Amino acid sequence: MSPRLFALVPAAVAINLVVGRIAAELSLPVYLDTLGTMLVAVLTGLPGGVLVGTVSQLLAGMLSGYQWLPFVVIQWLIALLAALAASRGGFATPFRSAIWGAGCGVLCGLVSAVISFVLFRGVTAGGVSAIGALLRGLGLPLSTAVTSASLLTDILDKTVAFLVVGALLRALPRRILGRFPVAARAVGR
Amino acid sequence: MTRAHPFTGGAVSLAAIALALILPAPRGTIALYLAICLGAWALGAGRAVRLGLLAVAPIWLLLFIMHAVLGEAPRLVLPWGGTLSQPGVDWAVAQGSRLAAIVTASLAFAVRFDPHRFLQAAVARRWPWSAAFLLVATLDAAERFGDQARRLREAQRTRGLRVRGSLRVRARAVPALVFPLLLTSLTEADDRALALESRGLTHHGPRTAVDPPEDSRSDRIIRWGSLTVVVAVAWWRWIAA
Repeated sequence: MSPRLFALVPAAVAINLVVGRIAAELSLPVYLDTLGTMLVAVLTGLPGGVLVGTVSQLLAGMLSGYQWLPFVVIQWLIALLAALAASRGGFATPFRSAIWGAGCGVLCGLVSAVISFVLFRGVTAGGVSAIGALLRGLGLPLSTAVTSASLLTDILDKTVAFLVVGALLRALPRRILGRFPVAARAVGR
Repeated sequence: MTRAHPFTGGAVSLAAIALALILPAPRGTIALYLAICLGAWALGAGRAVRLGLLAVAPIWLLLFIMHAVLGEAPRLVLPWGGTLSQPGVDWAVAQGSRLAAIVTASLAFAVRFDPHRFLQAAVARRWPWSAAFLLVATLDAAERFGDQARRLREAQRTRGLRVRGSLRVRARAVPALVFPLLLTSLTEADDRALALESRGLTHHGPRTAVDPPEDSRSDRIIRWGSLTVVVAVAWWRWIAA
Protein backbone atom coordinates (compact mmCIF):
# COMPACT_ATOMS: atom_id res chain seq x y z
CA MET A 1 0.00 0.00 0.00
CA SER A 2 1.38 3.42 -0.94
CA PRO A 3 2.09 5.92 1.87
CA ARG A 4 -0.42 8.34 0.30
CA LEU A 5 -3.20 5.74 0.40
CA PHE A 6 -2.16 4.89 3.95
CA ALA A 7 -2.65 8.54 4.87
CA LEU A 8 -5.92 8.88 2.95
CA VAL A 9 -7.74 5.79 4.26
CA PRO A 10 -8.10 6.85 7.95
CA ALA A 11 -9.23 10.35 6.86
CA ALA A 12 -11.77 8.90 4.42
CA VAL A 13 -13.20 6.53 7.04
CA ALA A 14 -13.45 9.44 9.48
CA ILE A 15 -15.27 11.44 6.78
CA ASN A 16 -17.77 8.60 6.36
CA LEU A 17 -18.49 8.68 10.09
CA VAL A 18 -18.41 12.46 10.63
CA VAL A 19 -20.38 13.51 7.52
CA GLY A 20 -22.96 10.81 8.33
CA ARG A 21 -23.30 12.44 11.76
CA ILE A 22 -23.62 15.93 10.20
CA ALA A 23 -26.43 14.70 7.92
CA ALA A 24 -28.20 13.17 10.94
CA GLU A 25 -27.79 16.39 12.97
CA LEU A 26 -29.27 18.41 10.12
CA SER A 27 -32.19 15.90 10.04
CA LEU A 28 -31.73 15.38 6.30
CA PRO A 29 -33.49 12.45 4.60
CA VAL A 30 -30.09 11.17 3.38
CA TYR A 31 -27.19 9.40 5.13
CA LEU A 32 -24.12 10.71 3.23
CA ASP A 33 -22.06 8.11 5.11
CA THR A 34 -20.24 6.83 2.04
CA LEU A 35 -18.62 10.06 0.79
CA GLY A 36 -15.17 8.95 1.96
CA THR A 37 -15.51 5.60 0.17
CA MET A 38 -16.55 7.32 -3.07
CA LEU A 39 -13.84 9.95 -2.81
CA VAL A 40 -11.01 7.45 -2.35
CA ALA A 41 -12.40 5.15 -5.07
CA VAL A 42 -12.40 8.14 -7.46
CA LEU A 43 -8.98 9.43 -6.37
CA THR A 44 -7.00 6.20 -6.13
CA GLY A 45 -9.10 3.48 -7.77
CA LEU A 46 -11.21 0.51 -6.72
CA PRO A 47 -8.84 -1.18 -4.17
CA GLY A 48 -8.60 2.01 -2.11
CA GLY A 49 -12.37 2.44 -2.10
CA VAL A 50 -12.94 -1.18 -1.10
CA LEU A 51 -10.43 -0.81 1.74
CA VAL A 52 -12.11 2.38 3.01
CA GLY A 53 -15.55 0.74 2.80
CA THR A 54 -14.41 -2.35 4.70
CA VAL A 55 -12.64 -0.40 7.46
CA SER A 56 -15.65 1.95 7.73
CA GLN A 57 -18.06 -0.91 8.21
CA LEU A 58 -15.77 -2.62 10.75
CA LEU A 59 -15.43 0.61 12.73
CA ALA A 60 -19.15 1.36 12.52
CA GLY A 61 -19.71 -2.19 13.82
CA MET A 62 -17.44 -1.52 16.77
CA LEU A 63 -19.30 1.70 17.58
CA SER A 64 -22.89 0.61 16.91
CA GLY A 65 -22.96 -3.19 16.81
CA TYR A 66 -21.56 -5.79 14.41
CA GLN A 67 -25.00 -6.88 13.20
CA TRP A 68 -24.76 -4.44 10.27
CA LEU A 69 -21.53 -6.05 8.98
CA PRO A 70 -23.30 -7.78 6.03
CA PHE A 71 -23.94 -4.30 4.59
CA VAL A 72 -20.21 -4.10 3.80
CA VAL A 73 -21.25 -5.44 0.37
CA ILE A 74 -22.98 -2.09 -0.27
CA GLN A 75 -19.73 -0.25 0.49
CA TRP A 76 -17.89 -2.45 -2.04
CA LEU A 77 -20.59 -1.83 -4.63
CA ILE A 78 -20.35 1.93 -4.10
CA ALA A 79 -16.56 1.81 -4.46
CA LEU A 80 -16.92 -0.20 -7.68
CA LEU A 81 -19.50 2.15 -9.21
CA ALA A 82 -17.65 5.31 -8.13
CA ALA A 83 -14.42 4.00 -9.68
CA LEU A 84 -16.32 3.04 -12.83
CA ALA A 85 -17.98 6.47 -13.01
CA ALA A 86 -14.57 8.12 -12.58
CA SER A 87 -13.05 6.14 -15.45
CA ARG A 88 -15.97 7.17 -17.71
CA GLY A 89 -15.92 10.88 -16.83
CA GLY A 90 -19.01 10.44 -14.67
CA PHE A 91 -18.23 13.47 -12.51
CA ALA A 92 -17.60 15.93 -15.37
CA THR A 93 -20.98 17.71 -14.98
CA PRO A 94 -23.68 17.79 -12.26
CA PHE A 95 -26.06 16.05 -14.66
CA ARG A 96 -23.66 13.12 -15.27
CA SER A 97 -22.99 12.88 -11.53
CA ALA A 98 -26.73 12.71 -10.83
CA ILE A 99 -27.28 9.99 -13.46
CA TRP A 100 -24.43 7.83 -12.11
CA GLY A 101 -25.64 8.51 -8.55
CA ALA A 102 -29.19 7.44 -9.35
CA GLY A 103 -27.89 4.27 -11.04
CA CYS A 104 -25.73 3.52 -8.01
CA GLY A 105 -28.79 4.14 -5.80
CA VAL A 106 -30.89 1.62 -7.74
CA LEU A 107 -28.24 -1.12 -7.51
CA CYS A 108 -27.41 -0.42 -3.86
CA GLY A 109 -31.10 -0.19 -2.96
CA LEU A 110 -31.82 -3.60 -4.50
CA VAL A 111 -28.86 -5.34 -2.83
CA SER A 112 -29.59 -3.59 0.45
CA ALA A 113 -33.24 -4.68 0.30
CA VAL A 114 -32.22 -8.33 -0.17
CA ILE A 115 -29.85 -8.21 2.86
CA SER A 116 -32.39 -6.30 4.94
CA PHE A 117 -35.25 -8.68 4.09
CA VAL A 118 -33.39 -11.98 4.33
CA LEU A 119 -31.33 -11.29 7.46
CA PHE A 120 -33.41 -8.71 9.35
CA ARG A 121 -36.94 -9.04 7.92
CA GLY A 122 -36.89 -5.38 6.98
CA VAL A 123 -35.97 -3.76 10.29
CA THR A 124 -32.47 -2.34 10.26
CA ALA A 125 -32.06 1.21 11.50
CA GLY A 126 -33.36 4.72 11.16
CA GLY A 127 -35.31 6.29 8.34
CA VAL A 128 -35.37 3.41 5.87
CA SER A 129 -37.15 1.10 8.34
CA ALA A 130 -39.58 3.88 9.29
CA ILE A 131 -40.49 4.32 5.59
CA GLY A 132 -40.79 0.54 5.31
CA ALA A 133 -43.17 0.47 8.28
CA LEU A 134 -45.20 3.30 6.74
CA LEU A 135 -45.53 1.43 3.42
CA ARG A 136 -46.37 -1.77 5.31
CA GLY A 137 -49.08 0.17 7.17
CA LEU A 138 -50.50 1.20 3.80
CA GLY A 139 -51.04 -2.48 3.07
CA LEU A 140 -48.00 -3.43 0.96
CA PRO A 141 -46.50 -6.91 1.48
CA LEU A 142 -43.32 -6.91 3.63
CA SER A 143 -40.97 -7.69 0.72
CA THR A 144 -42.43 -4.89 -1.45
CA ALA A 145 -42.37 -2.39 1.43
CA VAL A 146 -38.72 -3.17 2.25
CA THR A 147 -37.61 -2.99 -1.41
CA SER A 148 -39.51 0.26 -2.06
CA ALA A 149 -38.13 1.90 1.09
CA SER A 150 -34.55 0.83 0.24
CA LEU A 151 -34.84 2.06 -3.35
CA LEU A 152 -36.37 5.41 -2.35
CA THR A 153 -33.75 6.23 0.28
CA ASP A 154 -30.77 4.86 -1.65
CA ILE A 155 -31.57 6.65 -4.92
CA LEU A 156 -31.88 9.97 -3.08
CA ASP A 157 -28.81 9.33 -0.89
CA LYS A 158 -26.47 8.17 -3.63
CA THR A 159 -27.57 10.88 -6.07
CA VAL A 160 -26.83 13.59 -3.50
CA ALA A 161 -23.53 11.89 -2.55
CA PHE A 162 -22.37 11.69 -6.20
CA LEU A 163 -23.36 15.36 -6.68
CA VAL A 164 -21.34 16.39 -3.60
CA VAL A 165 -18.25 14.39 -4.66
CA GLY A 166 -18.55 15.71 -8.24
CA ALA A 167 -18.84 19.32 -7.03
CA LEU A 168 -15.78 18.85 -4.81
CA LEU A 169 -13.68 17.30 -7.60
CA ARG A 170 -14.58 20.09 -10.03
CA ALA A 171 -13.72 22.71 -7.41
CA LEU A 172 -10.31 21.18 -6.61
CA PRO A 173 -7.29 23.27 -7.61
CA ARG A 174 -5.23 21.77 -10.44
CA ARG A 175 -2.29 21.47 -8.02
CA ILE A 176 -4.18 18.90 -5.91
CA LEU A 177 -6.06 17.26 -8.77
CA GLY A 178 -2.77 16.73 -10.61
CA ARG A 179 -1.70 14.27 -7.91
CA PHE A 180 -4.66 12.01 -8.76
CA PRO A 181 -4.79 11.25 -12.51
CA VAL A 182 -7.94 9.09 -12.20
CA ALA A 183 -9.79 11.97 -10.53
CA ALA A 184 -8.64 14.40 -13.23
CA ARG A 185 -10.12 12.07 -15.84
CA ALA A 186 -13.32 11.80 -13.78
CA VAL A 187 -13.98 15.52 -14.18
CA GLY A 188 -12.77 15.61 -17.78
CA ARG A 189 -9.51 17.54 -17.25
CA MET B 1 -10.18 -5.14 33.52
CA THR B 2 -7.97 -2.11 32.87
CA ARG B 3 -4.97 -4.43 33.16
CA ALA B 4 -6.44 -7.13 30.91
CA HIS B 5 -4.61 -7.85 27.68
CA PRO B 6 -6.15 -5.86 24.77
CA PHE B 7 -7.05 -9.08 22.91
CA THR B 8 -8.98 -10.50 25.88
CA GLY B 9 -11.80 -7.93 25.71
CA GLY B 10 -12.07 -8.44 21.95
CA ALA B 11 -12.20 -12.23 22.32
CA VAL B 12 -14.94 -12.06 24.99
CA SER B 13 -16.91 -9.54 22.92
CA LEU B 14 -16.66 -11.71 19.78
CA ALA B 15 -17.69 -14.79 21.79
CA ALA B 16 -20.76 -12.93 23.10
CA ILE B 17 -21.69 -11.89 19.54
CA ALA B 18 -21.28 -15.49 18.32
CA LEU B 19 -23.45 -16.75 21.21
CA ALA B 20 -26.14 -14.17 20.35
CA LEU B 21 -26.32 -15.75 16.89
CA ILE B 22 -26.17 -19.38 18.09
CA LEU B 23 -28.31 -19.43 21.25
CA PRO B 24 -32.03 -20.22 20.90
CA ALA B 25 -34.21 -17.12 20.94
CA PRO B 26 -35.87 -15.59 22.84
CA ARG B 27 -34.93 -17.29 26.15
CA GLY B 28 -31.27 -17.82 25.36
CA THR B 29 -30.76 -14.38 23.82
CA ILE B 30 -32.61 -12.54 26.62
CA ALA B 31 -30.49 -14.38 29.23
CA LEU B 32 -27.35 -13.55 27.24
CA TYR B 33 -28.33 -9.86 26.99
CA LEU B 34 -28.86 -9.68 30.76
CA ALA B 35 -25.54 -11.44 31.37
CA ILE B 36 -23.72 -9.00 29.04
CA CYS B 37 -25.33 -6.02 30.83
CA LEU B 38 -24.33 -7.37 34.25
CA GLY B 39 -20.81 -8.16 33.03
CA ALA B 40 -20.43 -4.70 31.51
CA TRP B 41 -21.59 -3.01 34.74
CA ALA B 42 -19.29 -5.18 36.85
CA LEU B 43 -16.25 -4.44 34.65
CA GLY B 44 -16.80 -0.69 34.61
CA ALA B 45 -18.31 -0.50 31.13
CA GLY B 46 -21.77 0.53 32.32
CA ARG B 47 -21.77 3.35 29.75
CA ALA B 48 -21.99 0.65 27.06
CA VAL B 49 -25.31 -0.57 28.51
CA ARG B 50 -26.78 2.96 28.42
CA LEU B 51 -25.44 3.65 24.91
CA GLY B 52 -26.69 0.23 23.80
CA LEU B 53 -30.18 0.98 25.08
CA LEU B 54 -30.19 4.29 23.20
CA ALA B 55 -29.05 2.50 20.02
CA VAL B 56 -31.54 -0.38 20.16
CA ALA B 57 -34.62 1.47 21.48
CA PRO B 58 -35.62 2.76 17.99
CA ILE B 59 -35.01 -0.72 16.55
CA TRP B 60 -37.23 -2.30 19.23
CA LEU B 61 -39.97 0.23 18.39
CA LEU B 62 -39.71 -0.47 14.65
CA LEU B 63 -39.66 -4.25 15.23
CA PHE B 64 -42.82 -3.92 17.33
CA ILE B 65 -44.61 -1.79 14.72
CA MET B 66 -43.44 -3.68 11.63
CA HIS B 67 -43.91 -7.23 12.93
CA ALA B 68 -46.09 -7.26 16.08
CA VAL B 69 -48.62 -4.60 15.01
CA LEU B 70 -48.53 -5.01 11.21
CA GLY B 71 -47.58 -8.72 11.13
CA GLU B 72 -49.40 -11.75 9.75
CA ALA B 73 -52.13 -13.92 11.32
CA PRO B 74 -52.72 -15.67 13.72
CA ARG B 75 -53.48 -12.66 15.94
CA LEU B 76 -53.39 -12.42 19.72
CA VAL B 77 -56.35 -10.64 21.30
CA LEU B 78 -55.15 -8.21 23.97
CA PRO B 79 -57.14 -7.91 27.24
CA TRP B 80 -57.44 -4.12 26.83
CA GLY B 81 -58.57 -4.37 23.19
CA GLY B 82 -56.82 -4.65 19.86
CA THR B 83 -54.72 -7.48 18.45
CA LEU B 84 -51.07 -8.30 17.80
CA SER B 85 -49.54 -10.81 15.40
CA GLN B 86 -48.39 -13.94 17.28
CA PRO B 87 -45.45 -14.79 14.94
CA GLY B 88 -44.66 -11.05 14.74
CA VAL B 89 -44.38 -10.75 18.53
CA ASP B 90 -42.17 -13.88 18.65
CA TRP B 91 -39.85 -12.49 15.94
CA ALA B 92 -39.76 -9.00 17.49
CA VAL B 93 -38.74 -10.36 20.92
CA ALA B 94 -36.22 -12.82 19.45
CA GLN B 95 -34.61 -10.32 17.07
CA GLY B 96 -34.81 -7.45 19.58
CA SER B 97 -32.96 -9.37 22.29
CA ARG B 98 -30.41 -10.73 19.80
CA LEU B 99 -29.61 -7.26 18.43
CA ALA B 100 -29.46 -5.78 21.95
CA ALA B 101 -26.93 -8.44 22.99
CA ILE B 102 -24.76 -7.81 19.90
CA VAL B 103 -24.90 -4.00 20.23
CA THR B 104 -24.08 -4.04 23.96
CA ALA B 105 -21.22 -6.53 23.54
CA SER B 106 -19.75 -4.41 20.70
CA LEU B 107 -20.06 -1.18 22.69
CA ALA B 108 -18.61 -2.74 25.86
CA PHE B 109 -15.50 -3.58 23.84
CA ALA B 110 -15.44 -0.10 22.25
CA VAL B 111 -15.66 1.85 25.52
CA ARG B 112 -12.80 -0.18 27.07
CA PHE B 113 -10.65 -0.14 23.92
CA ASP B 114 -7.21 1.42 24.34
CA PRO B 115 -5.71 1.99 20.85
CA HIS B 116 -2.13 2.41 22.10
CA ARG B 117 -2.13 -0.89 24.05
CA PHE B 118 -3.81 -2.67 21.12
CA LEU B 119 -1.11 -1.47 18.71
CA GLN B 120 1.64 -2.53 21.12
CA ALA B 121 0.02 -5.95 21.58
CA ALA B 122 -0.34 -6.40 17.81
CA VAL B 123 3.33 -5.50 17.25
CA ALA B 124 4.45 -7.86 20.02
CA ARG B 125 2.42 -10.68 18.43
CA ARG B 126 3.87 -9.94 14.97
CA TRP B 127 0.39 -9.28 13.57
CA PRO B 128 0.33 -7.34 10.29
CA TRP B 129 1.45 -3.94 11.52
CA SER B 130 -0.27 -2.00 8.73
CA ALA B 131 -3.72 -3.40 9.63
CA ALA B 132 -3.33 -2.61 13.35
CA PHE B 133 -1.98 0.86 12.60
CA LEU B 134 -4.84 1.53 10.17
CA LEU B 135 -7.40 0.80 12.91
CA VAL B 136 -5.65 3.03 15.43
CA ALA B 137 -5.03 5.85 12.92
CA THR B 138 -8.68 5.70 11.87
CA LEU B 139 -9.93 6.05 15.45
CA ASP B 140 -7.58 9.00 15.88
CA ALA B 141 -8.76 10.57 12.62
CA ALA B 142 -12.43 10.10 13.56
CA GLU B 143 -11.89 12.03 16.79
CA ARG B 144 -9.85 14.76 15.02
CA PHE B 145 -12.39 15.22 12.21
CA GLY B 146 -15.26 15.17 14.73
CA ASP B 147 -13.66 18.08 16.63
CA GLN B 148 -12.96 19.88 13.38
CA ALA B 149 -16.58 19.45 12.26
CA ARG B 150 -17.82 20.96 15.54
CA ARG B 151 -15.48 23.96 15.27
CA LEU B 152 -16.44 24.42 11.62
CA ARG B 153 -20.12 24.35 12.45
CA GLU B 154 -19.73 27.04 15.11
CA ALA B 155 -17.55 29.17 12.82
CA GLN B 156 -20.02 28.95 9.93
CA ARG B 157 -22.94 29.76 12.23
CA THR B 158 -21.23 32.94 13.39
CA ARG B 159 -20.98 33.86 9.67
CA GLY B 160 -24.75 33.46 9.37
CA LEU B 161 -25.10 29.83 8.24
CA ARG B 162 -28.53 28.46 9.17
CA VAL B 163 -28.68 24.81 10.27
CA ARG B 164 -32.34 24.82 11.29
CA GLY B 165 -35.49 25.52 9.34
CA SER B 166 -36.97 24.04 6.18
CA LEU B 167 -35.42 21.09 4.36
CA ARG B 168 -34.06 23.47 1.71
CA VAL B 169 -32.35 25.65 4.32
CA ARG B 170 -30.77 22.62 6.03
CA ALA B 171 -29.68 21.09 2.71
CA ARG B 172 -27.95 24.36 1.75
CA ALA B 173 -25.83 24.07 4.89
CA VAL B 174 -24.24 20.82 3.66
CA PRO B 175 -21.56 22.26 1.31
CA ALA B 176 -20.43 24.81 3.91
CA LEU B 177 -20.03 22.07 6.54
CA VAL B 178 -18.77 19.20 4.40
CA PHE B 179 -16.49 20.68 1.71
CA PRO B 180 -13.85 22.05 4.12
CA LEU B 181 -13.59 18.62 5.76
CA LEU B 182 -13.17 16.87 2.43
CA LEU B 183 -10.59 19.41 1.26
CA THR B 184 -8.63 19.10 4.51
CA SER B 185 -8.42 15.33 4.11
CA LEU B 186 -6.92 15.74 0.63
CA THR B 187 -4.49 18.54 1.43
CA GLU B 188 -3.28 16.75 4.57
CA ALA B 189 -2.72 13.43 2.78
CA ASP B 190 0.70 14.26 1.29
CA ASP B 191 2.07 15.77 4.52
CA ARG B 192 0.94 12.74 6.47
CA ALA B 193 2.29 10.34 3.85
CA LEU B 194 5.71 12.01 4.11
CA ALA B 195 5.60 11.83 7.92
CA LEU B 196 4.62 8.14 7.84
CA GLU B 197 7.33 7.28 5.32
CA SER B 198 10.00 9.05 7.37
CA ARG B 199 8.90 6.96 10.37
CA GLY B 200 9.45 3.67 8.56
CA LEU B 201 5.99 2.93 7.20
CA THR B 202 7.40 1.17 4.17
CA HIS B 203 9.85 -0.85 6.25
CA HIS B 204 9.26 -4.59 5.90
CA GLY B 205 10.27 -7.00 8.59
CA PRO B 206 9.70 -7.40 12.32
CA ARG B 207 9.06 -4.39 14.57
CA THR B 208 9.78 -4.05 18.25
CA ALA B 209 7.00 -3.19 20.68
CA VAL B 210 8.21 -0.44 23.03
CA ASP B 211 5.74 -1.20 25.79
CA PRO B 212 4.06 -4.60 25.16
CA PRO B 213 1.11 -5.28 27.48
CA GLU B 214 1.43 -8.30 29.75
CA ASP B 215 -0.42 -11.39 28.56
CA SER B 216 -1.17 -13.14 31.86
CA ARG B 217 -2.27 -16.72 32.39
CA SER B 218 -5.78 -15.58 33.37
CA ASP B 219 -6.02 -13.63 30.08
CA ARG B 220 -5.19 -16.78 28.12
CA ILE B 221 -7.65 -18.85 30.18
CA ILE B 222 -10.43 -16.32 29.51
CA ARG B 223 -9.72 -16.26 25.77
CA TRP B 224 -9.55 -20.04 25.41
CA GLY B 225 -12.57 -20.39 27.74
CA SER B 226 -14.60 -18.02 25.53
CA LEU B 227 -13.75 -20.04 22.43
CA THR B 228 -14.59 -23.31 24.24
CA VAL B 229 -18.00 -22.00 25.34
CA VAL B 230 -18.86 -20.91 21.78
CA VAL B 231 -17.80 -24.26 20.30
CA ALA B 232 -19.68 -26.20 23.04
CA VAL B 233 -22.91 -24.21 22.53
CA ALA B 234 -22.65 -24.55 18.74
CA TRP B 235 -22.12 -28.31 19.12
CA TRP B 236 -25.09 -28.56 21.54
CA ARG B 237 -27.31 -26.65 19.08
CA TRP B 238 -26.16 -28.87 16.21
CA ILE B 239 -26.91 -32.04 18.22
CA ALA B 240 -30.30 -30.65 19.29
CA ALA B 241 -31.18 -29.88 15.66
